[in-house]
Amino acid sequence: MKRTPQDCPSRLPENTAVKQQQLPACRLQLSATGILSGFFATGVFCLGMGVILILSAKSSMEIEINYTKICASCAKLRENARNFDKECTCSIPFHLTQTMRGNVYMYYKLYGFYQNLHGYLLSRSNSQLLGTDVKDVETCAPFSKSHDGTPIAPCGAIANSLFNDTIILSYKLNSSVHIQVPMLRSGITWWTDKYIKFRNPSSSNLSSAFAGTTKPPSWPKPVYELDENDPGNNGFLNDDFIVWMRTAAFPTFKKLYRRLSRTQHFIEGLPAGNYSFNVSYTGMEKLKSSL
Amino acid sequence: MALSVDSSWHRWQWRVRDGLPQSPSEATPLLSPEKGRQTYNLTQQRVVFPNNSVFHQDWENVSRRYSSNRICTTKYTLFTFLPQNLFEQFHRWANLYFLFLVILNWVPSMEVFHREITMLPLAIVLFIIMVKDGVEDLKRHRFDGKINRSKIQIYERKEQSYVQKCWKDVRVGDFIQMQCNEIIPADILLLFSSDPSGICHLETANLDGETNLKQRRVVKGFSQQEIQFEPERFHNTIVCEKPNNHLNKFKGYMEHPDQTRTGFGSESLLLRGCTIRNTEVAVGIVIYAGHETKAMLNNSGPRYKRSKIERRMNINIFFCIGLLFLMCLIGAIGHGLWNGTFREHPPFDVPDADGSFVPLALGGFYMFLTMIILLQVLIPVSLYVSIELVKLGQVWFLHNDLDLYDEETDLAIQCRALNITEDLGQIQYIFSDKTGTLTENKMVFRRCTIMGSEYSHQENAKRLETPKELDSDNEEWTQYRCLTVPARWAHGPATMRSQRGAQPLRRCHSARVPIQGHSRQRSMGRCESSLSPVAFSSSIEKDVTPDKNLLSKVQDAALWLETLSDTTPAKSSVSTTSSIADFFLALTICNSVMVSTTTEPRQRVTEPPSTKALGLSLEKIQQLFQRLKLSSLSQSFSSTAPSDADLGESLPNIPVSDSDERDDTSVCSGDYSTDGGYRSSTWDQGDILRSGSATSLEEVLEAPALGLASPELCYEAESPDEAALVHAAHAYSFTLVSRTPEQVTVRLPQGTCLTFDVLCTLGFDSIRKRMSVVVRHPLTREIVVYTKGADSVIMDLLEDPACMTDTDVEKKVRKIRARTQKHLDLYARDGLRTLCIAKKVVSEEDFRRWASIRCEAEASLDNRDELLMKVAEHLENQLTLLGATGIEDRLQEGVPDTIAALREAGIQLWVLTGDKQETAVNIAYSCRLLDQTDTVYSINTESQETCESILNCALEEVKQFHEVRKPDHKLFGFRLPSQTPPPTSGAAVPDIGLVIDGKTLNAIFQGKLEEKFLELTQYCRSVLCCRSTPLQKSMVVKLVRDKLSVMTLSIGDGANDVSMIQAADIGIGISGQEGMQAVMSSDFAISHFRHLKKLLLVHGHWCYSRLARMVVYYFYKNVCYVNLLFWYQFFCGFSGSTMIDYWQMIFFNLFFTSLPPLVFGILDKDISAETLLALPELYKRGQNSECYNMFTFWISMMDAFYQSLICFFIPYLTYKDSDIDVFTFGTPINTISLATILLHQAMEMKTWTIIHGLVLIGSFLLYFVVSLVYNAACVTCNSPTNPYWVMEGQLADPTFYLVCFLTPVVALLPRYFILSLQGTYGKSLISKAQKIDRLPMDKRDLKIQSWRSRQRPAPVPGEAQPTHHPEPPVSEQGFRASTPKSSRPSKRKYKENWVVHGERCSRDHMRDDPCSGDSSAKLSSGEHLLLGPGRTMASGVYSSGQTDAYRPSNRGSHRRSQSSLTI
Repeated sequence: MKRTPQDCPSRLPENTAVKQQQLPACRLQLSATGILSGFFATGVFCLGMGVILILSAKSSMEIEINYTKICASCAKLRENARNFDKECTCSIPFHLTQTMRGNVYMYYKLYGFYQNLHGYLLSRSNSQLLGTDVKDVETCAPFSKSHDGTPIAPCGAIANSLFNDTIILSYKLNSSVHIQVPMLRSGITWWTDKYIKFRNPSSSNLSSAFAGTTKPPSWPKPVYELDENDPGNNGFLNDDFIVWMRTAAFPTFKKLYRRLSRTQHFIEGLPAGNYSFNVSYTGMEKLKSSL
Repeated sequence: MALSVDSSWHRWQWRVRDGLPQSPSEATPLLSPEKGRQTYNLTQQRVVFPNNSVFHQDWENVSRRYSSNRICTTKYTLFTFLPQNLFEQFHRWANLYFLFLVILNWVPSMEVFHREITMLPLAIVLFIIMVKDGVEDLKRHRFDGKINRSKIQIYERKEQSYVQKCWKDVRVGDFIQMQCNEIIPADILLLFSSDPSGICHLETANLDGETNLKQRRVVKGFSQQEIQFEPERFHNTIVCEKPNNHLNKFKGYMEHPDQTRTGFGSESLLLRGCTIRNTEVAVGIVIYAGHETKAMLNNSGPRYKRSKIERRMNINIFFCIGLLFLMCLIGAIGHGLWNGTFREHPPFDVPDADGSFVPLALGGFYMFLTMIILLQVLIPVSLYVSIELVKLGQVWFLHNDLDLYDEETDLAIQCRALNITEDLGQIQYIFSDKTGTLTENKMVFRRCTIMGSEYSHQENAKRLETPKELDSDNEEWTQYRCLTVPARWAHGPATMRSQRGAQPLRRCHSARVPIQGHSRQRSMGRCESSLSPVAFSSSIEKDVTPDKNLLSKVQDAALWLETLSDTTPAKSSVSTTSSIADFFLALTICNSVMVSTTTEPRQRVTEPPSTKALGLSLEKIQQLFQRLKLSSLSQSFSSTAPSDADLGESLPNIPVSDSDERDDTSVCSGDYSTDGGYRSSTWDQGDILRSGSATSLEEVLEAPALGLASPELCYEAESPDEAALVHAAHAYSFTLVSRTPEQVTVRLPQGTCLTFDVLCTLGFDSIRKRMSVVVRHPLTREIVVYTKGADSVIMDLLEDPACMTDTDVEKKVRKIRARTQKHLDLYARDGLRTLCIAKKVVSEEDFRRWASIRCEAEASLDNRDELLMKVAEHLENQLTLLGATGIEDRLQEGVPDTIAALREAGIQLWVLTGDKQETAVNIAYSCRLLDQTDTVYSINTESQETCESILNCALEEVKQFHEVRKPDHKLFGFRLPSQTPPPTSGAAVPDIGLVIDGKTLNAIFQGKLEEKFLELTQYCRSVLCCRSTPLQKSMVVKLVRDKLSVMTLSIGDGANDVSMIQAADIGIGISGQEGMQAVMSSDFAISHFRHLKKLLLVHGHWCYSRLARMVVYYFYKNVCYVNLLFWYQFFCGFSGSTMIDYWQMIFFNLFFTSLPPLVFGILDKDISAETLLALPELYKRGQNSECYNMFTFWISMMDAFYQSLICFFIPYLTYKDSDIDVFTFGTPINTISLATILLHQAMEMKTWTIIHGLVLIGSFLLYFVVSLVYNAACVTCNSPTNPYWVMEGQLADPTFYLVCFLTPVVALLPRYFILSLQGTYGKSLISKAQKIDRLPMDKRDLKIQSWRSRQRPAPVPGEAQPTHHPEPPVSEQGFRASTPKSSRPSKRKYKENWVVHGERCSRDHMRDDPCSGDSSAKLSSGEHLLLGPGRTMASGVYSSGQTDAYRPSNRGSHRRSQSSLTI
């Protein structure tokens, strides 16, 4: 008798490993030997990583200077809204006992500034910043349009609250000679931000590109005057602006402000000695160097 | 006559009801008063006018009101689809919740996510379900269309002929002409059949799955018709009941132009969906069409049951909602407080669009709602979808289990309810039917008693004891058959399906391919012929080995029968020889068995041979012939049924002019030709013989007594008992050759064929518990009533011996009766089903009178059934007892084993049966439901007081047992003992069984004794409810389910189990031989009871543990992930910010973490199937809900909180004070939580297959791929926040890797620790079993054995027996005097019998019909209670410990109880 399956069409389930739930399987059983070996292996790995991390952290150096109290008078001045365009500077001296070697970065650090607040976070227009449509201020409420209905560029709460203290670090070569420490304002942003996410509207002239828009209410000057010296750093492409627009995750945060241009005296980094920096406007600042 | 008065009164009443409101009301506008017709109340009746020229006007008026035959099973139309579907979908609260969130998100001040994006998940879910519904509906629509467009012949008034039209054009009142094998388009009243006797054969497989043919007969008065039915000459109006869904209930009458009425019932109704068979042409008038047909009305959608896990899940979801509320409240208050810390608005506090700031309190409130949106995932809505999918997978695996497949019927398990698979793992109580469930429902004739002498059929018993050989025979045969089965049977149902399609007859998938028509012939020639799917004819049932002693007597009797003349009076009825002949004639005739041949499976032998052959000696036959010729002149009997109008008077002397030939030859010889010639000559009913061309007739002639066995004859019986009896008679050469409604032909041992005219058949019903056939004896011309029925009923209906004139006869009758009763008790004790056979000779006049009453009763519309029953009672009395039969119903294979395993698994098994107590108890012993050492309490009482006191006594006593044994049980309430395994130390204390009957149950339910009853049953090992009605069965199930709040399972196979199956949490139907009703109402359908073991112990356990753990995991997963967002709120001023991009959040739930739980829920095996089967105790895990209860839920919640804390704060501490931005911070957190959640899943998985691995790793990789692509794809995608290049940036950062490694390790450490502690030192059953599972095969077996022996250190010898005893041991003598174990002195045994013994039999019957006047006296006498000795015993037993002082109670007591009392 020949038996072929098609002769016997039936509901007989197929005898396959999958259908009979007989797939070869390995049983996971956590036992003492398994857990101990796993535990120690992980532990050793973590320990090694920890040692490396601690060593690397030791080699970096950080100085933090809080200037809010020192520049309290400026703060007071700024409290009065009418004085917003008045220049106020204060100078803070500090002493560097040890040379900061390598690349030195200058950050500003804000305490209790909730850049991650929900409403704040959303109040921006990416398409405007991308330069495609300067007048696209739809998502920027309440800083989308000025009282007369002109769209704001850059719109939104984030842009409006741009950190605009100017900090100039000067190095006292000796008691009389003060050299301004050369700082680079480029290269402090993500590459993708600077070259992809932020574009100025295409136009021959930057100010004409922003024609028909107005500056954010808190800004002293329009966006196309942020850095009139360097067209690559002007408008939406301004590095400080881009850095600010990348909203911080926590209320206490620091943002990269400048990096040391390693020329002349500062080829090796920031030499030890006395420094001072001048701050115009208020805020908190912190200086940090790292390798 | 009292009855005629009764029935005429009923008729009058009915006329008053319908006839009197003659005023033409608005409800009957169709009436044209000038026609002078009767008023019809259309609100209570359906009136059908035929669609012919005469009634055309009326037809148009009326039929407009009835629905047409176009069916539309679709839910939606093109226009209503969208709104209706949405409306239905929003009935689910989960969707409503989502909708609420979406709307909330549209409020500007609460917008958390992009408005459009928030709608997306909901829209996707709605869309998917909408598409699913739409496709299903489209399919339905297509099938509807197909069905609606099927063709059928409809009578067209204008053309005066039948025209082919579509089904949808069929209207009520139309005449339909159907050919053989056509499917009936509507409910049609049969008016004409090409069959001369007015029979139409139907196959109802589409309706109920039963494959045997049903007969429908033409309405009375229409059976004698010319070749063609003339619709134009049909001048009657049809009045019948409104459409209802009772398939087997239908009544109505037909009003003739002369105002006379003809009644008809369901036997004339052709139901939609059935198939015409064996009938060339049938014509009928449409009564119900379209959605009003019974088939359509019967079609209710699938039921929805909520499983226990789902119920618990819903509770936990409420916890989650509470948690959500709490978290939102924290968010709201936190936001308020945070806002309050600022004296003025800081620059980052963004005002509204109009520049104003929200007040503090309002801001808090907004924040509350915002947080709900933010944390919405806490309510695991995706869980519902996942559960559905997992259950689908589980069901798929169930379907594919080879062990649950039955080769014989070619059926795998059917899951009809898709959403309660996990309940299979939590069953605590099983309620089982007995017949067909525990037993095979293959009725085998075992022994009989005739006129007081017992024939024990030893050889038959021996044959039955060796079932294995036969089975193996069958098996081979089946396999062989399977190969040779041509496409007909295999494809038959399939084509049927495609035709019927979604036409929701519910039956489609259960139309089985029957391969049980076993025939033992093995030759090639035969196999083709034995393909017939005949029920109840397995070889074990067919072959009865005759008792030698009886065989010789039967031959004598047959000879006597041959020589019988019409002069022999009723006196002979006492003689043994005639009784034997009568007995076997009764077995052959008194049934509704259909005869068919196997060559053409669906061809019935309905026509009695017109010229009967099989000659004996020529002289003898001629002699008979002569005699008959003479007698037939004076008394004729018509082969056609008299029309109802003249039935009354025409019976005795119908002038038969044209039927002379037929009459003459009703017994005659035929075979004059030589052996080669009979086929062509006389035996023109050749299909009997033609089929079996291989059968030699010589053989038949030569050895008529041995194997007259024309194997081509197949008997199709409605109940297996009937088939068994016919087969038994066949073994003694009384062969049922053919049957029509009017005639039955029996072949006697000598080969003569006797044709009996059937004057009336009183069918079997469960109330009367008997059936009768009234025939005219062809030889004696007497009218004989053969009755067969339950012994309890028949014994009451016997003629009173006291009335007998002759004292000798009286004595003899009494003696016979007593002995028969003794034998009956014996049979019952042996677990046999007993039937009594009786006969009665009726005088012509009595019968004529009776027939007229019956005719009247048949025509009545109301109370028809009642009336018919009463009429039947008038005939079925004063019977003469012929004998009784014992039919064995064998235990199914593997039943004791299964029961033992289920019990070990902690499941309580109750048997609820309609059978006799003795039979039930016997089956219970043989299937090890009761043990020989058990104490069995039997409670048989009818009075509530007695019942209460009995229950009290029993309870007291049982409690004493248990208190002595282990008092701590009482601490936990009474439920505990039932759930804990019997203590090993207390082996001296026997287990308790409870046997209770239907009447007692009634008393319990009426007397509010449920609590006590349940309390008693808590202590019982098993409970048997005998003699219980279907309603009682379901009441018991509901009682246990609701009062004890346990998970219940009902299993049964017959229509009487339907209510019980529906009442239980899980209903299991056994697709056996008794039709498909049980299967249709069940959640799961299996083919054998033994499958229950694997279904529950393995699949139940798996399904439960998989799903339970998946649910817990889901809760964990969602809480863990959502909490990350919650923790972030503490750092963003509770403003509702998220650090994770919304798309990535959606993807996280949708793609990255959805598949592993699904795979886990479908595939994970915590313990292997072998171990689960070997150690049934493991099932208790599910019963106690160990995988998913409050404890595990909260533990996993805590774990989720811990893990989310770790997952958030380690990255937080890492990136604190840095220049990290929001989304760059979110990415490692997302990655970490993904790793943690997947690894957590990995630790939960107990078995790792390649699928597990692929899915887990795949999910993880998918996350990276999708994130990378998404973060690189577009700059302004998710404006204004967008995570452009974040992932890429992170991947370039070593910190990211470090954090992603460290955090999951820390997060999973506690669970890892605990799991490994459990794995190493775990003492729970599960962890032990898991350890066993890891051992190699041989070691595993050893370990399992040692485990089992540890579980039961001192096995009772009885229990140590191998559990494979499919059959109760049958001793040679037939009955055991006492069981050997019971005589062991070491066993203390108590046997109490509270048997209140009234006139059981009579009460049984009378109770069913309390209004019958003459029975009221008996009824009251039945109430007289005879309290057995047990009551006084109860206290005495315990104090003295000796029971021999108490005598066995009485007749009704059980043999084991008797034996036990002698200790």
